[in-house]
Amino acid sequence: MAGFAGITTEQDSGPQAAGTMAATATRLTKLYGEGNTQVVALDAVDIGFEAGKLTAIMGPSGSGKSTLLHCVAGLDSVTDGEVRVGDTLISDLSDQELTLLRRDRMGFIFQAFNLVPNLTAEENILLPLLLGGREPDPEWQKRVIDSLGLDERLHHRPDELSGGQQQRVAVARALMSRPAIIYADEPTGNLDTNSGQEVLGFLRRAVDDWGQTVVMVTHDPGAASHADLVVFLRDGQLVGRLEKPTPDLVLDRIRALEA
Amino acid sequence: MNPVLLLGRRNLASSRLRVGLTGLAVMAGVAFVVASFVLSDGLRATFNQIVEDVSADIDATVRATGDFAEVTFQAQTIDEGVLDIVSAVDSVEEALPALTSSKIVPIDGNGEAIETLGPPILAANQQDSPTSAVMLEEGELPDGPGEFAIDFTSAGTYGFEISQSYDIVGVEGREPFTLVGTTRFGEDNALAGAVLMTFTLDEVQRLDGNDGKINSIDVTAESGVSPDELIADLEAALPAGLEAVGSDVIVDEGQEDFGATVDIFGNVLLAFALVSVFVSTFIIANTFNILLGQRIRQLALIRALGASRRQVLLAALLEAFIVGVIASVIGLAVGVGLAYGLRAIMNSFGFNLPGLELVISARTIMTALAVGIGVSLASALTPSRRAARVPPVAAMREGYRYGSGEGTRRTIIAIILAVPGVTGIAVSLFGSIDSTPLLLLLLGGGAVLVFISVTMFAPLFSTPSARFLGAPLERLPWLGITGHMARENSSSDNKRTARTAAGLMIGLALIAMATVVASSLKDSYRSTLGSTLTADFLISPPNGGTGFSTELVDAVAALPELDPVSSTRLGNIRVNGNEHDVRATDLALLTNLWDLEVISGDPATNAGPDVVSIHESVANDLNLAVGDELDIEFAATGTKTFTVNAIYENAFLISNYLIDKSAWDQNFSLNEDISIVASVAEGVEIEAAASALDELNAAFPQLNFETGAEYSDRLEGQLDSLVIVINVFLGLAILIAFLGIANTMALSVLERTREIGLMRAVGMTRRQTRAMIRWEAAVVSLFGALLGVVVGLVFGWVAVQAIAIDQFAIPVSSLVLYVLVATLAGLIAASFPARRASRLNVLDAIHQL
Repeated sequence: MAGFAGITTEQDSGPQAAGTMAATATRLTKLYGEGNTQVVALDAVDIGFEAGKLTAIMGPSGSGKSTLLHCVAGLDSVTDGEVRVGDTLISDLSDQELTLLRRDRMGFIFQAFNLVPNLTAEENILLPLLLGGREPDPEWQKRVIDSLGLDERLHHRPDELSGGQQQRVAVARALMSRPAIIYADEPTGNLDTNSGQEVLGFLRRAVDDWGQTVVMVTHDPGAASHADLVVFLRDGQLVGRLEKPTPDLVLDRIRALEA
Repeated sequence: MNPVLLLGRRNLASSRLRVGLTGLAVMAGVAFVVASFVLSDGLRATFNQIVEDVSADIDATVRATGDFAEVTFQAQTIDEGVLDIVSAVDSVEEALPALTSSKIVPIDGNGEAIETLGPPILAANQQDSPTSAVMLEEGELPDGPGEFAIDFTSAGTYGFEISQSYDIVGVEGREPFTLVGTTRFGEDNALAGAVLMTFTLDEVQRLDGNDGKINSIDVTAESGVSPDELIADLEAALPAGLEAVGSDVIVDEGQEDFGATVDIFGNVLLAFALVSVFVSTFIIANTFNILLGQRIRQLALIRALGASRRQVLLAALLEAFIVGVIASVIGLAVGVGLAYGLRAIMNSFGFNLPGLELVISARTIMTALAVGIGVSLASALTPSRRAARVPPVAAMREGYRYGSGEGTRRTIIAIILAVPGVTGIAVSLFGSIDSTPLLLLLLGGGAVLVFISVTMFAPLFSTPSARFLGAPLERLPWLGITGHMARENSSSDNKRTARTAAGLMIGLALIAMATVVASSLKDSYRSTLGSTLTADFLISPPNGGTGFSTELVDAVAALPELDPVSSTRLGNIRVNGNEHDVRATDLALLTNLWDLEVISGDPATNAGPDVVSIHESVANDLNLAVGDELDIEFAATGTKTFTVNAIYENAFLISNYLIDKSAWDQNFSLNEDISIVASVAEGVEIEAAASALDELNAAFPQLNFETGAEYSDRLEGQLDSLVIVINVFLGLAILIAFLGIANTMALSVLERTREIGLMRAVGMTRRQTRAMIRWEAAVVSLFGALLGVVVGLVFGWVAVQAIAIDQFAIPVSSLVLYVLVATLAGLIAASFPARRASRLNVLDAIHQL
C-alpha cells in the first residue's frame, strides 16, 4: 500500500491525504451484461478509504455508488482491477474466504431488512461473532449496547422494534466485532428524520470516540454532511470530493454535477 | 382474454419449478394408483390367456361332482378305472388321466428340501400328448420309474441339472430319482413362483400315496364331434358322482380362481396407492398454501385493481386444475412404467410373475384423471379461499400474513372431524359388520378423518414441540448459532411445521401400527403356544398345508426317547349343513401333549370312533353339553352320530371339532398326517431326544422338526417378512412425504431469500447455511415421525384390541430406529434446498423484494 493513499478523481489527481487506508480500490471496473446491453457500472475507479474516518459516497441513481460499496465489501465480484481491505487482496478470494472476511473484519448496515426475523435483538447483534464461534467481549458489548440505548430491547424480536430501533440494532451488530471497516448502504433511507439523525449520530460517534472506519452510501445531503469526506460518482467514475461537508455545500456540488 | 385465465396461466409459467415440485407429489400418487391397476389388469389378462392356452386343445374334462371334499384345498380324486369307461365312448379320440400332488418335494444338490416363498410345489403326471400343457424344454420327458422332469425356471432357481440324481420325498419318505429333462408350462412357463415336477402317472400315485386314483381325465373328441355331443356321450356313460364339463367351464373356473387372487393382490396394491395419494394431498395443500402466501402482494394488488374475490379464487383453482391435469397425464405414463418396475421388484423377491400384457383400461385413465385433478383441486380449495380473502390494503402494507386468528375455529373443526373418524374406526372394528367393502370404507374413512384431525390439532403444540425437539441443536458445539437458527426456524410457524410434518406423520403412523400389531401378535403367539403346547417337539410341513405319511408318527413313537407321541390330521366335515375343519388325533393322549383348557368332560373318555370333543363356541351355538349327541356329515361316508365327550376353551392351532383317529379311519379315504407332537420320555435329556429325531428328519427333510420355541421363531420370522413387505409398500408414501419436506424447505428458502442473503453478508458460510436448512428439516421430520409413532401406537392398540390379541407389545427398538431413519432422511431430503440456499447470490438475495 506504500505510495498510494487518498482519493483520486479526474478533477483532483493531486497529492494524497495523509493517514492509513482501511480499504482501497485500484482501476476497479465493473461491467454488467454483454454486447449491446453491456453497462459500465464502474469505470477504472481508483479510491481509498482512510482509516478512522467517515466517508460518504454520493451520486445520482445509476452512478455506481452502491456497486462501488458492494465491490469494496466483497459482496460483488469485480470485472477488472484490485480491491484491498487492509493488506488483503480480496478480488481473488474464494467465497469461503470472503465470507470469513466479512464476518470477522467487516460490519454491514443495509437500508432495510437488516435483521434476522427469528432472532432477538441481542442474537442479531451477536450474529457475526456467533457464526464465527467467538465469545463476545462482555465489556465492549455493554458499551455498544448502552451507547445505542438498546439495553431494554435486547430480548425483542425485530418485528417488535421500530424502524429506528431496528437500525440501531444493525449499527450495534456492525460495531460488535470492532471491524476494520463498516459499510453502510443508505442506512437512513427508510427512516424518519429523527431516527435517521440518531443513526448518523451513532456512526459519527463510533468514528470519533472509537476510531471506527465507516463508508456510507447515501443520496441525502444531510446524511452526507456527517461525513469527514464526501466523494461523488457519476456514470461509474469519480467526479469530485468534498472535505468537511455541510448540507449546503453538498447540495451545491450535486447541482453542479447535474448541470 | 379472460383475466382470470390469463393470471392463472402466467402464475404457472412464472413459477415452473415450484409448480413442478407440487405436481411431482400429485404425479407420484397418480402413478402408484395407475401402477396397481395396470399391474392387476395385466396379470389378469396374462393369466386368462394362460388358462385358455392350457385348455385350448381339450374338448371336455371328466371329474368328480360336488363341492364337499373330504379335505379342503385338495382336488377330489376318482378311480383310475374311469379311464377305461371314458376311452370306450365312441366319440372320444383321446382320454388322458391327470393327477396333481402337493406332497412331493425334491431335494436339491445341497441336500436341502426346496422351499418357496408361498407358491406350491406341485408334482403332476406327464401326459404324453401334444395337447399337454407341460411341454419338453430340454432333455427328455419322464417315462419310467425313477425319472422326473422339472420346469426350467425352477431348475435354474434351485440349481437342478439334467441327468443328475436327486432325492424326491414322497409320503413314504425319500428315494433317488434322475432328472431326465426340463419342461415348459404353456408358452411362458408362467408358474408365478410355483415349482412343477412331472413323473409318470404310476410314480405320482405312489409318491402321493394315492394308488389307483386320479383327479380328472382330459378328453378330446373324434373329428366331426362337437364338444356338446361329446359331453352328452360322456355323461351317458359315466357312473354317478362323476361329471363331464366342457373346456369353457374349466377355463371359466380357472380364470375365476386366478382372477380372485389377482383381485386381492390388486386391491392390496391399491390400498397402499391410496395411502400415497392421501399423503400427497397434504403435501400439495401445504405447497399451495405457501405459494399463495408468497403471492399475497400480487393478490392484494389485483384485488385493489378491481378483481373480485371470486375471480381470485377461480384463478387459484384454475392453477390447481392445470397442475392436476398435467400431473395426471404424466402420472399415467409413469404409472405404466412403475407397474413393470413393481413386477421386476416382485420377481427379484422370487414371485416369478409372468410377462405383463399391457392393458390400459378406460377405468385406469378415468381414475388417474379423477385422482390427479381431484386431489389437486381438493387440496387447493382451502388455500385458494384464504387467498381470496386477502384485503386489497395488503398490497401497501408490509408483513401482512393471512390465516391468523383461526386457531379456535380450526380446533373446533378438528374435533368435529375426529368424532365421526373415531366412531367409524370403532364401529368397523368392534361392531358386527358383515359387508367387507363397508367395513373397509368405515375403517379407511375413519382413519383419514383421524389423520386430518390430528393434522389440524398439531399446530396447537407444534411450536413448543419443535422447540423442545430442537433444543439439543443448541448444545452441539459445531453448530452453535446455526443450530439455534435451525431450531427457531423450525418452530416459528406452527401451522407450517404441522402441515409439513403431516405426510411423514401418516406414513410413520401406519408403519408403527403394523409393527405394533405384528409384535403383539408375536408375543401373544409365543406365550399362547408356550402355555398350550405341553409337548416338547412339533413336526410340521413348512407351509402348514401339505400332509405326510402316517408311517412317520409310528417311527417317532418307536423311539424310546419320546413318549407320548401323537399326530393330527385335518379334514372337512359338515355340521347342520355348514362346512367345518375337523382334527383327528389320539384323543386318549391329547391332554398330555396339548393344553386344551378343558371346561367339562375329558377327551380321553370313551376315546374311540363315536366321540367328539368340541370348542365352547360350538357348544354355545348348538347348545350342547357333555353327553349330548351330534350329527356329523362326512364326504365319503355320509352322516354319523357322535357323542360329545369334552368341551374345551382353547382352540389355538386346533380346530373347533376334535375326533379320534379311529373315527377318521372309518370316515375318510385319505390317510395322511398334518402334524406330530411328541414329548420327551421320562428320564431322557431333551438333547438326546433331539438327536434321535435327527435321523428321521433326514428321511423327511421337507418337514420341520422343531421345539415349541423354534416353531415360534419360524412363525415370527414369517411375520417379520410380512412386515418388511408392508413397510416397503408404505415406503412409497413416505418417499412422497419426504418429497413434501424437500418441497416445503425449497419454498421456505425462497421465502427467506433476503434473510439468507443478509446472513451470508454478515458472515454465514455456505456450509453453515446448508447445515441450518438441513437441521431445520431434521427437526420437522423428527416432530412428524414422533407424532406418527404416537398415532400409530394408538391405532395399533385399537387394532390389537379389535382382533383380540391378548398382548400389547411395543417394539421400542424398531420404533426408535424408524424415527431416527426418518429424521436422517429429512436431513437428506433438505439437501437440495440447502444447496440452493447456500448458492444464492448474496447481493441479489438482499435486494430481492
